[in-house]
Amino acid sequence: MEKKNRILGGAGEKVLLTGNEAIARGCLEAGVVVATAYPGTPATTIMEKLGEVAPELGFHAELSVNEAVAFEVAAGAAMAGVRSLMATKMLGVNLIADPLTVISVTGVRAGLVIVTADDPQQFSSQNAEDTRFFGMLAKVPVLEPMDGQEAKDMARYAFELSEELELPVFLRITPRICHSSFPVEFGEVRRPKRNGKFVRDPKRFVMISTYSRPRQKLLNEKIIRARSIADTNPWNRSFNFQNGMMVDPGKVYNTFGIIASGMTFPYVQEVLEVTKVNAKVLKLATTYPLPENLITEFLREMDQVLIVEENDGVTELLTRALAQRKRLNVRIMGKDEGLIPMSGELNPDIVGDAMEKLFGIKFREDLTEAYLKAEKELVSQRVPALCAGCPHRSSYYSIREALRRKGRGGSIMGDRGCYNQGAYEPLEGIDSCICMGASIAMASGISHSGTNEPVLSVIGDGTFYHSGIPSLLNAVHNRSNIVSLIFDNSITAMTGHQMNPGTGINLMGESTGFANLKKIVQACGVERVQVISAFDTKKLIEAVMEEIDQPGPSVIISRAPCALVVERNIRKRKMEMYRAEVDLEKCIGCKACMKKIGCPAFGWSNEPKPHLEILPHCNGCGLCVETCPFGAISVPGKPDDALGISVKHREVKS
Amino acid sequence: MNIILSGVGGNGVVLTTRIIAEAALMEGIDVRVGEVHGLAMRGGTVVSHLRLGPDAKGVLIPQRMADMMLSFEPLEAIRQMKFLKRGAKVIINNDPYVGVDAHLGLSRYPDLCRVIEQIQETQDLVDVPATHLALKAGNVVMTNVVMLGTLSASRELPIRREVLLEAIKSRVPPHTIDRNIKAFELGEKAFQEWEQKRACQTGS
Repeated sequence: MEKKNRILGGAGEKVLLTGNEAIARGCLEAGVVVATAYPGTPATTIMEKLGEVAPELGFHAELSVNEAVAFEVAAGAAMAGVRSLMATKMLGVNLIADPLTVISVTGVRAGLVIVTADDPQQFSSQNAEDTRFFGMLAKVPVLEPMDGQEAKDMARYAFELSEELELPVFLRITPRICHSSFPVEFGEVRRPKRNGKFVRDPKRFVMISTYSRPRQKLLNEKIIRARSIADTNPWNRSFNFQNGMMVDPGKVYNTFGIIASGMTFPYVQEVLEVTKVNAKVLKLATTYPLPENLITEFLREMDQVLIVEENDGVTELLTRALAQRKRLNVRIMGKDEGLIPMSGELNPDIVGDAMEKLFGIKFREDLTEAYLKAEKELVSQRVPALCAGCPHRSSYYSIREALRRKGRGGSIMGDRGCYNQGAYEPLEGIDSCICMGASIAMASGISHSGTNEPVLSVIGDGTFYHSGIPSLLNAVHNRSNIVSLIFDNSITAMTGHQMNPGTGINLMGESTGFANLKKIVQACGVERVQVISAFDTKKLIEAVMEEIDQPGPSVIISRAPCALVVERNIRKRKMEMYRAEVDLEKCIGCKACMKKIGCPAFGWSNEPKPHLEILPHCNGCGLCVETCPFGAISVPGKPDDALGISVKHREVKS
Repeated sequence: MNIILSGVGGNGVVLTTRIIAEAALMEGIDVRVGEVHGLAMRGGTVVSHLRLGPDAKGVLIPQRMADMMLSFEPLEAIRQMKFLKRGAKVIINNDPYVGVDAHLGLSRYPDLCRVIEQIQETQDLVDVPATHLALKAGNVVMTNVVMLGTLSASRELPIRREVLLEAIKSRVPPHTIDRNIKAFELGEKAFQEWEQKRACQTGS
């Protein structure tokens, strides 16, 4: 097993890295001093990798309580004159909009880079927003790499650009950069210089309106300067494709051009090589502000230009405006013409389809009718579920059961975390998922709407610290009649078990003071707070039923550690877990257990008769035991009062 | 060369792809790996695109351009078949994962024979009882190493056996190396048996 962190290694070494790892390495080569993030797929591993090496290399890495805080911490460090990084998924950029649009006005004294992972295919996001609009909003440059090598090199360069302009800089990536692996050649690691000092300069950093007005003007000048720097950016390059070969961009004349940004360039390259369509391609790495001279020269040679970009048609919009301003007679095509889809990530097939529409040349064979028919017959989407032994399953089961017994309907406003997997059938634990922290406030809104039904909300501990606290304060202050459940596993589980203020240990491995969830809730002014084990369904059901009848906000903290964490610890110590068993005499194959809780450790067997089968990844949480009307399920040997996953016995394996 | 690796969460698709990619890099072959593991939890669909040599451009393989597939689960092979060239080799672990969603009727899991038949209609199928062989080697978690053994024995890969083994050793816990080598060898043997069986069937 490799002990060494993959992002360490000497200059000249070539290592297979994910895009996230490559960016982390680029930050080391830039000598980053303060690195911050709030975990969010697909960007999470950037900070995980940095956290692993930070104590050794002597820089500060932290998982902040939310994205706005993360950005403000990084910006503060950059104001004090040290290079700083903030990494987030694109939805986190919504949170940093407030400080960002002012930090761009003050500017920074050392490099401040924001890595943002957009998610055009929505692999793990509620929407498909495009960070480039935030670049335009705050007047902050945006860079886009096409592979791992560029991701690393551009991460390092982004700090230099940030210092040259005294502006924050966005490095925009997507899951296909984050989670893909590429060979990456290392440069020198720069020792972090932890020698920051904040020097007073009120006219620059105290953004009251009298001081801010002149700085706003300066910002506009900076973004114009950023354009001309983009004109000479070495990653903006043109290529000529002639008969499927890449040839000297200076010599051959094509009147069909393609502008391909970020990681769409390799897709375009592959399609041109196969279809042998002749084209000049401008590979674009600076997507805001555009390199205007470079693009103007490119457009001048062309009759038609196809713009290939992911998420929204930002380059298309800006290029059209530029062509109009320069009075160029060129047909610009892309999303507006329907050649490139408005939504979803791009791939070579989509670029190939666009080329077929334009030139009638096929990129690849069509799928056969026979295959499409078989696919339709045989393939259906697998439905995700909470893990086996997940405490959220028990909590949702109890909440739904309580509402059923009350018989007055009711809604459950959800939040953002792995408890979202409980939205699917059969649990259907939540009725909404909007954004981090929305659950409590939206429940408040419903409670004030005049409804007679019970209004509940569900939020995880990490999300509660992230942005749930103000909503709870608000619910108390404005007398919302809601029952708020906090699912407390004392970790940020969804993104891979990152620490949060309730964990008591931080990314640097230091033990810290930790938040006392119950006391925070009480300090918000909530009078009725209870802490119940997530696996104590009887108590949970009773508590939910009781609190529904109480006026004002009340809170139930449903507490149990993440099943995956418990499993991992038990395995590490070479101990064994309990497992459920089915009594074949009693099981009649009614599937009541499945219909109630849909645990992924449920299998099925028809031999010798149709019955429930328990799969090897059962960890004996025991929730299924009470779902069986015939008492056919048991967890042999487990004491009656043991709740959730528990250790069976010590067994030292060789 | 373009290879699709598919399976469900928990199969080790991502790790297996990395092992092959690292071995390729050791052989001096250019490589790209495209994968997504956003919310890949136990039982969810997982796929990686592995591109070697001159094909190592973008991280995604275009449809109908993959030279082979390694699938850790039968139905997942069908799900990704659109990427395969006609006649491309498909190595599958013939152990189906039928999720609770299928038992509840929220999704469908087709008849296994029908799945095998469908793959065979257009592809060169090698099916291996990899889960079973991994258990024989000592632990079900080595299913992916069994599959790597089969892949290596198929001689489709431009990577030497010892280099692939080296890459495996660098990725597994040191005290499990012997067991993993055994799993690898069982995978190789499974391929040889499949070849013999086919030779008998075709009468050569």
